[in-house]
Amino acid sequence: MRAVKVEHMNNDIINNIGLNHYLILAALLFVTGMAGVLLRRNIIVLLMSIELMLNSVNLTFVAFSKYLGILDGHIMVFFVMTIAAAEAAVGLALAVSIFKRFNEVNIRFFEHLKG
Amino acid sequence: MTADAFLFWFLAIVTLVSGLSVILLANPIYSALCLAMTMVGVSALFVTLNAYFIAGVQLIVYAGAVMVLFVMVIMLFDLKKDLQAFTRGILSGALKIASVGLLAGLVVGAIAISTGLLAEKTTDNPVTMGTGMESTKALGNILFSKYIFGFEALGVLLLVIAVGAVALARSKGGTHEQ
Repeated sequence: MRAVKVEHMNNDIINNIGLNHYLILAALLFVTGMAGVLLRRNIIVLLMSIELMLNSVNLTFVAFSKYLGILDGHIMVFFVMTIAAAEAAVGLALAVSIFKRFNEVNIRFFEHLKG
Repeated sequence: MTADAFLFWFLAIVTLVSGLSVILLANPIYSALCLAMTMVGVSALFVTLNAYFIAGVQLIVYAGAVMVLFVMVIMLFDLKKDLQAFTRGILSGALKIASVGLLAGLVVGAIAISTGLLAEKTTDNPVTMGTGMESTKALGNILFSKYIFGFEALGVLLLVIAVGAVALARSKGGTHEQ
């Protein structure tokens, strides 16, 4: 009896995709990006990890937007996408200027940046 | 298993695996390719959430423009030296992984606990349930009325960023000589 109930609950989790599924997926993506930022030293991979984190936040926005029936979350996604593209452009320009001087794009050279 | 559920699990696995490969692969060009895969997966997830226009923008802006930017910059560099540029030190690495795991546990636990608190999908708003055109139209309406100030501010921001990126990239190697 109990086993049947547990089985039923498992099926429910697998079959009924709800808000929680999307939220947990977004949380895991965000954590992946955070691990990338903490563990990698290559500035380009760092920027990619930041893009990953921003994407997971977008996913959260859209999921809430769907399940609350409001479109404002979509607008926020637009703004986040724009900021993310701008941030990637500036970050990569910085990486280029670091590479020109040190021939390497390790994050530890960023302490030499001035003015 | 229904088609919806299968689609979600498939996309979730694709997105998570390619997201993990972004941070675990040593070669930045492979990381970039995996990031493009992640972007495509997230875009498909947007489609499953009925956000068709956002999905299209995601494909064009991220999987198109931003990825081209990354790949071009990677090709500019000669990255033989720092293929293995992971963090140094076992202790700090373990500490970082532990903190990341702690954050994941906290967030997932919070979501699991708050399951009952969220209202059970109160509205089946026709705008967000529609077949695409309705939601896109409503999106344009509120973007150009309620959020018009933010929209204009973003325009100014993009101009500043374009000028700033060009100025940064033109500066002669490093920034503290001259």
